[in-house]
Amino acid sequence: MITFTSFPVPADDTYNGAHSHHPDVSEDVLMDLDDDQDPLEAGGSKLTYPGESLTSSQAYMRGHGTYVENEEVIASVAGTMERVNKLVTVRAVRTRYNPEVGDLVVGRITEVQPRRWKVDANSRQDAVLMLSSVNLPGGVQRRKLESDELQMRTFFEEGDLLVAEVQAFFSDGAMSLHTRSLKYGKLRNGQLVTVPPVLVRRLKSHFIALPCGVDLILGLNGYIWVSKHVKASDQEGEEGFDAEAVYSNQNDYIDDLTRIAISRVTNIIRVLAAHFVPLTDTLLLEAYEWTVDQEGGAKDLLQEDVGDALVATITARL
Amino acid sequence: MRPPSPSIPEKEFLVASLKESLRLDGRLPLETRTPILTFGPELGWVECALGKTRVVAEVEGKMVKPTPERPFEGSSRYTRRYRPWRRASTSPVGRASDEEVTITRMLDKVLRRSDAVDKESLCILAGQRVWHLRLTLHFLSDAGNMLDCACLAGIVALKHFRRPDVEVIGDEVTVHEPTERAPIPLAIHHTPFCFTFAFFPDPSIPPVIDPSQLEQRLSAGLLSVALNAQRELCVVQKLGGVPLDPDDVLKIVSVAVQKAKELNNVVDARLREDWEARKVEVT
Amino acid sequence: MGSRVEILNDGGFRSDGRRQFELRDMTIDLSQQGQADGCAVVTHGLTQVLVSVFGPREAKMRSQTMHDRANISVEVNVAAFSTGERRKRTRGDKRILELAATIKSTFEPVVQTNLYPRSQIDVYVQVLQQDGGLLQACINATTLALVNAGIPLLDFVCAVSGGVHSTSPLLDLTLLEENDIPNVTVAMMPKTGKVTLVTMETRLHVDRFEEIFRLAGDAGKVIHGEMKNAVRSRTSALVAAMGSGPRVGGVDVAADKDGDDRMNEY
Repeated sequence: MITFTSFPVPADDTYNGAHSHHPDVSEDVLMDLDDDQDPLEAGGSKLTYPGESLTSSQAYMRGHGTYVENEEVIASVAGTMERVNKLVTVRAVRTRYNPEVGDLVVGRITEVQPRRWKVDANSRQDAVLMLSSVNLPGGVQRRKLESDELQMRTFFEEGDLLVAEVQAFFSDGAMSLHTRSLKYGKLRNGQLVTVPPVLVRRLKSHFIALPCGVDLILGLNGYIWVSKHVKASDQEGEEGFDAEAVYSNQNDYIDDLTRIAISRVTNIIRVLAAHFVPLTDTLLLEAYEWTVDQEGGAKDLLQEDVGDALVATITARL
Repeated sequence: MRPPSPSIPEKEFLVASLKESLRLDGRLPLETRTPILTFGPELGWVECALGKTRVVAEVEGKMVKPTPERPFEGSSRYTRRYRPWRRASTSPVGRASDEEVTITRMLDKVLRRSDAVDKESLCILAGQRVWHLRLTLHFLSDAGNMLDCACLAGIVALKHFRRPDVEVIGDEVTVHEPTERAPIPLAIHHTPFCFTFAFFPDPSIPPVIDPSQLEQRLSAGLLSVALNAQRELCVVQKLGGVPLDPDDVLKIVSVAVQKAKELNNVVDARLREDWEARKVEVT
Repeated sequence: MGSRVEILNDGGFRSDGRRQFELRDMTIDLSQQGQADGCAVVTHGLTQVLVSVFGPREAKMRSQTMHDRANISVEVNVAAFSTGERRKRTRGDKRILELAATIKSTFEPVVQTNLYPRSQIDVYVQVLQQDGGLLQACINATTLALVNAGIPLLDFVCAVSGGVHSTSPLLDLTLLEENDIPNVTVAMMPKTGKVTLVTMETRLHVDRFEEIFRLAGDAGKVIHGEMKNAVRSRTSALVAAMGSGPRVGGVDVAADKDGDDRMNEY
């Protein structure tokens, strides 16, 4: 029998996954050790890789991230396996955003089409925002007119950012959005950070006002809007809806302190995302306080040691 | 604009009949179309037809100065002329389609990289004069399996071609007209033949050799094997497509071995026949 | 063309000190790079390839959308400095187009494209260093990048090159060996042992081919082991990092496996 051998890996190899492997039988046994504890029974989760056989398809049903071949349920993505009764699913660790109805997303207009906008929302297809699902000027409950169709670009044009809710799905899986709430609409006075969508968990509210004068919108699609705080009363305006303010492209005056706070929060999010730490309001607040205590500038955060210290501190606290 | 794909009933019909090992043109799954070789009046002009697929190959030889890196070797160039079969814009204008790229690369591998022609025998005077061969392939019509047809046309044209005899005295090179001295065939190391097999997504459908256009379009993967009658493989190429069992691949290779022997006999017989006919003419 | 270097000397060693069936050192880096959805840098000895995967995302060109599945587009770029002789290859180069088409058709039946109708998956292959086994590195890196991007695959695709020196088969060829001896690249799916890709470009006897073909199939399983481990440790590191955050619904996974010190690499 022929054996294959790889080159020995240098001892100082930083990547500890790259051991050299000898395809001996013992090796296979070692690798499969954790498979033996039957995760299906344990009810816990188990890490999978594509092509790994999970269980028999006769006893279990296949869910997302799996497929069936030869009466076996096989994982198709690398992630954690979960089981709900007879349903076996695998959730990928990193993937694009998978929309669900009611999710809050931040998106960017990519195209203006007849009676609809196309919105990039980090999903597998661009989302659709129908003209009929936005608030039109001059009253919330108003029929849309032909003149509205002609001036769609005055509401949203290519490149505009907006916050919206997932309303429904089309037959091909594309999502349809709506902004029919005063909370939703065009975004201004801040900047966008993108993180892997899995890092944004479903929270009670995705609108977070940090005490440092910064508002956060945690889009479930991994797009996060960091902006200057707007008082609730200003947002509503008279008569509940102020079209000019809602569709304005003009930033308000932002003072220097707020600007620094915005960039500090942005950098915190970047650091946390780089370390793959899920974001929550409490976590962000803690992180913000920690950075202020450190008396460093906002840009110091991007230095590796500061970032590492930040993550080490706040993950230890919780 | 996408090319019009075969309609659903056409597809269903083909798949259903293939499941029963029937092909639309009445062949068995592992039966090739018989190549029809027509030789032109010039030596090295061949038209090869596999059913309605037709390719013309012509070889020209001329004397050039060799490149300084390879003073003892003749050179060869292959030109391909695709045109009529370039169906309604499969790819943006000016860019070769995937099929064209595959055929071009495959021809290059089969005819040039496998060293079919002995390049050193093309040398007349080291560093001064060598033969430069130019093989031009004209793709006239596509009824499936252009690749095999083109490879066959190319190699037969090279075998059919004869260069004028040359005499070297000192630094003097004399070229003898074909009327003075019989022209000399090229030194061919071996004769590679190419066979293409098509696979279908349904595992119950057997692989099909020499696919027709419809079969090729509906197939989920092609495997091309180029080899000579001496059981030497020159190119094996399966670029993706449906995964196959290793044993199936080897089985197909052994089918190709068989086919190559048969084809070699056919080609040799045709070449001899043609040469005999020419001799009568000359004398 | 005659080689001055012995491909396989009397002691059974190859020019770089390996034995016949010894594979080169393989390193895999799956860390995040830029905005890509999935990345992988794979090194086989001195051959290095970086693959970034974007998508599934909205197709750029409407003509490329398919109503029932995602379109995979592959672009290969060979760095001018990747070979000994510095040379810029244009994008229209037939070899590069063929390589891209090969990668595309290899992954089309493996990626579950039917889950993403009307979308597009973009694969960008950047060849950084070449020392033989380019196709093998490209295929392995693409597999890992797709896995890393969370795109559902039926199985890994593991590729290995092999060659035959007179009658002795060799595995995982360097550029020097590749130029001199007949070589074969085989890509296989370890679960079923089926072969998705076979290429061979040089004259080789049928029986020799069979031998190296089977060997390469076996060697693919070794590569699979390496790839599997890399994916596993990446997955567990990410899961551990996520678990270290607050209020993670019941996922208390393998957090101790890699520890916090590992996290900093990501």
